[in-house]
Amino acid sequence: MASSLEPIVVLSLIVGAIAAVIFAGVLVALVVFTVRYRDVPTASAPQIHGHRALEIAWTSVPLVLLAIIFGLSLVTLGQIGQGATFGSLEPPLRVDVIGHQWWFEFRYAGGAVTANELHIPIGVPIELDLGSADVIHDLWVPELGAKSDVVPGQRNVMRLFTAHAGTFSGECAEFCGLEHAWMRVRVVAEPRADFDRWLAAQSAPASGAAGRGLEVVRSAVCSSCHVVQGQVAGTSIGPDLTHVGSRTTIAGGVLANTADALRAWIGDPQLFKPGAMMPKVPLSSADLDAVVAYLESLK
Amino acid sequence: MTATALVRRPGAFATAGVLRTVDHKDIGIMYVLLGIAFLAIGGLEALLLRLQLATPGEHVLDPSTYDQIFTMHGITMIFLVAIPMLVGFANYVVPLQIGAEDVAFPRLNALSFWLTLFGGVLLYLSFVAGGAPDAGWFAYAPLTEPAHAVGTGMDWYIFGLAVSGAGSIIGAINLAVTILLMRCPGMVMGRAPMFTWMVLITSVLIIAAYPMLTSALVMLLVDRQLGGRFFDPAGGGNATLWQHLFWSFGHPEVYIVVLPAFGMISEVIPVFSGKPLFGYRFVAASGIAIGFLSFGVWAHHMFAVGLGDAENAFFSATSMLIAVPTGVKVFNWLATMWRGRIRLAMPMVFAIGFIATFVIGGLTGVSLAVVPIDLYTTDSYYVVGHLHYVLFGGTMMAVFAGLYYWFPKVTGRLLGHGLGLVHFWLTLVGLTLAFLPMHLLGIEGMPRRVWTYPPGMGWDVPNLVSTIGSFLIAAGAIALAVNVWRSLRTGERAGDDPWDAFTLEWSTPSPPPSSNFDGLPRVRGKRPLWDRKHPDRMDPE
Amino acid sequence: MSAQATAIPFTRDRNLVGIALFIGSESLFFLAIVIAFVVFREQGLATAKAQLDIGRTALFSLLLFASSGTMGLASARRSRPWLGLTALLGVTFLAGQGLEYARLLGAGLRPGSELFGTTFFTLTGLHAVHVLVGLVLLATLFAASSARPRRVGPSAWEGIALYWHFVDAVWVVVFSVVYVGTVLG
Repeated sequence: MASSLEPIVVLSLIVGAIAAVIFAGVLVALVVFTVRYRDVPTASAPQIHGHRALEIAWTSVPLVLLAIIFGLSLVTLGQIGQGATFGSLEPPLRVDVIGHQWWFEFRYAGGAVTANELHIPIGVPIELDLGSADVIHDLWVPELGAKSDVVPGQRNVMRLFTAHAGTFSGECAEFCGLEHAWMRVRVVAEPRADFDRWLAAQSAPASGAAGRGLEVVRSAVCSSCHVVQGQVAGTSIGPDLTHVGSRTTIAGGVLANTADALRAWIGDPQLFKPGAMMPKVPLSSADLDAVVAYLESLK
Repeated sequence: MTATALVRRPGAFATAGVLRTVDHKDIGIMYVLLGIAFLAIGGLEALLLRLQLATPGEHVLDPSTYDQIFTMHGITMIFLVAIPMLVGFANYVVPLQIGAEDVAFPRLNALSFWLTLFGGVLLYLSFVAGGAPDAGWFAYAPLTEPAHAVGTGMDWYIFGLAVSGAGSIIGAINLAVTILLMRCPGMVMGRAPMFTWMVLITSVLIIAAYPMLTSALVMLLVDRQLGGRFFDPAGGGNATLWQHLFWSFGHPEVYIVVLPAFGMISEVIPVFSGKPLFGYRFVAASGIAIGFLSFGVWAHHMFAVGLGDAENAFFSATSMLIAVPTGVKVFNWLATMWRGRIRLAMPMVFAIGFIATFVIGGLTGVSLAVVPIDLYTTDSYYVVGHLHYVLFGGTMMAVFAGLYYWFPKVTGRLLGHGLGLVHFWLTLVGLTLAFLPMHLLGIEGMPRRVWTYPPGMGWDVPNLVSTIGSFLIAAGAIALAVNVWRSLRTGERAGDDPWDAFTLEWSTPSPPPSSNFDGLPRVRGKRPLWDRKHPDRMDPE
Repeated sequence: MSAQATAIPFTRDRNLVGIALFIGSESLFFLAIVIAFVVFREQGLATAKAQLDIGRTALFSLLLFASSGTMGLASARRSRPWLGLTALLGVTFLAGQGLEYARLLGAGLRPGSELFGTTFFTLTGLHAVHVLVGLVLLATLFAASSARPRRVGPSAWEGIALYWHFVDAVWVVVFSVVYVGTVLG
């Protein structure tokens, strides 16, 4: 199997084909009857009140079709359900997912924590353990198939799989407040060796450049919401910044992770993501540069 | 004050007459006018949403305004447009169809109308009272709990929906009792017109479904105003309880706004095919089946919530099952046209358009009942496309058919055919452009309820096309408005029975006198007027 | 409704059919609230066992159930004394509810203090509101039948009696779920 999307595509094509045939049939009947019987001479219309056999036919034929579709859907459900291995012999990789307004947190077993960027190895089923810190969210990576709601007070489990390397775009699919639109994620699927290297790097404590930037992050309000493991003992309300410099986007996909974008974002988050929880922090231009340089060094 | 006066002299609305009237025809007209007024508001809201989504990164609306507008668009179209329009038609037409002088409780009827209007006013007061509700029409907890919804918007939502809901329940009881007890001699239920049948089933659905909504609203009110914890997971409550309660109302609600539409189509197609409705019993029985099943399908809105595979499979099966009686209706309408004498007057044009577009909504509905497909498409634009095909391609197209059909009865004048065709084609092309690309957007991964979206996702073109389509629909609505205005001034006189129709409302003058009938034809079958016009070819009893 | 209408059977009387449909709708409303109570029952059981005064509430419940009997007599005989007794029993029941509320509030239980407070006050409060509405109807009927007895049609008596029986029946369910359920659980 190429990915956890595949069984859904197969089922959708079957259902879509059946639906297309039915729709075409109705449309043809509609057009033919309209053209054929339009303004035919008065009194030629026979007063037919019904036909029992026909009623039975168009009740039972759809019933049989639906029964077939239902059976097929159970098969597909088995293929993508919680127990699915997608043909892989490897044990699934478990990742904790926590939905926040408006970003996703991913926690790996070894202590690595990322935001809005999920790395996965190819050829291995991924088991996502989903929980929410506030309201209901929903994690959906369309190219990997199904989605799952992320419900506060409830643990949901979803399995994903891909055999091919690539970067897939995903998002929150359940309306969760003001910046639901900018709650996007990227899923990076890579060969096992690359993934292991990445995970080892992400599990290590931060090794950002010491200096003015680190001082500002420690002393300004930054640390009341952000943690940099090994360097800034903050409160983890916002995304963990330990390896923020290695991510490709910031702020739930609003901006690419470049020095300029980071500077603009920290300078005034509300300009790019109105309603975001991150406040505008008054920093001098020099301090802002130092903070950006520090964050960029957190590879 | 008669219905005629209301239509002929719009100034009559300024007088006290409209405040005092309890005539079902007046109330019916007032309901439809209420629906049209809110249709204009809800339609403008839709245009704003489409402008904001026309291209990626637009700034027509900020996210806060966008959320308020998409929420109010949904609430408005469901509770203040679809319901009042259909209840209005039912109010006007049903007593005439069953040969009654009025509804069972004329004064309660007026009360229902004023409650619906008052509920709508409450909902819209929110805009000037610190912000409209902004959590979507189904308002999932805990986003609506005081910790996350700090403004008063959700409180206006609670009171607005509770008040208009009370109006709907009282109105439904009234219509149900009218149909059950006030039919004229000979009009046994087995001969009642199909629109009357569908209104009866709808009324029962309202009576049974709306209290579920009211109960959820009361619990939300306790959470918001008394610190309750029903839907607050942090306090031990349960976020999905709201969803269960809401959808156990919300899914029957879908059938509440579509069954009367089925009824209208079941009136129009036989008349303009010159034949009786094919399979009358099966069309009526399938309506009853839909009514029952509609209470057992609610969790198909919740497949991604994590209820469990067995629960999902159960609700999947019931949801698929409901397609069967729906299909029965479509096949019977087609069979009615078969070997008929088709007259393409405007009501029939819209009825044919309805079948074509509604079938698309019905088939995508089946796909959403299939759990694995739903797990991909739910909460995406695919659902938005589907629901607009059902509610616009279904309900609104039927309402247009009904409007062209009964307008001459209400006003005594026919609507213009040429402008009618302009209205039809703008609407059909517009809705196709507006709603078909939404399915594609969903398949390409665009989630619903986003105030903006990034470029480069392949979402740009379908969104732009959809926006263009929405403006075509608006242009069609303007054509309808011009048509109505011209018809009221200079329209062709209709006479009692302009369509050579079958049911009792066409046996009385247009517009009908305040007591409805001077004398009723004998009712010995399903088509009393056919029997009177064709004594040689009368229907079997 | 004219005086001759007395002979109309229940199912042909539009007022009674309307009221029956309304009661059906109300029943589903209460069903949803009861379901919410049951969903959260486990979380509130300890508080319920500790706080509820089952004996006294059972006593006041008996008075409410008895009022269904007196209402039946009042309706059958068009009797204002029986109507008055019904209202008196209803008022006494509400007073009992008031005492229960005062005690629970005194012990610190609030709709917002814990889940049991939320579900208990919502369910019993909504029932109390319905009793209150019933009492207003009884009072209206009493006044109308005193002033202009001829203007009061039979469906007024029977309809209000139907509503009063419904309010009692709801309490049978609420008392069973909230009080008996607590004793058994």
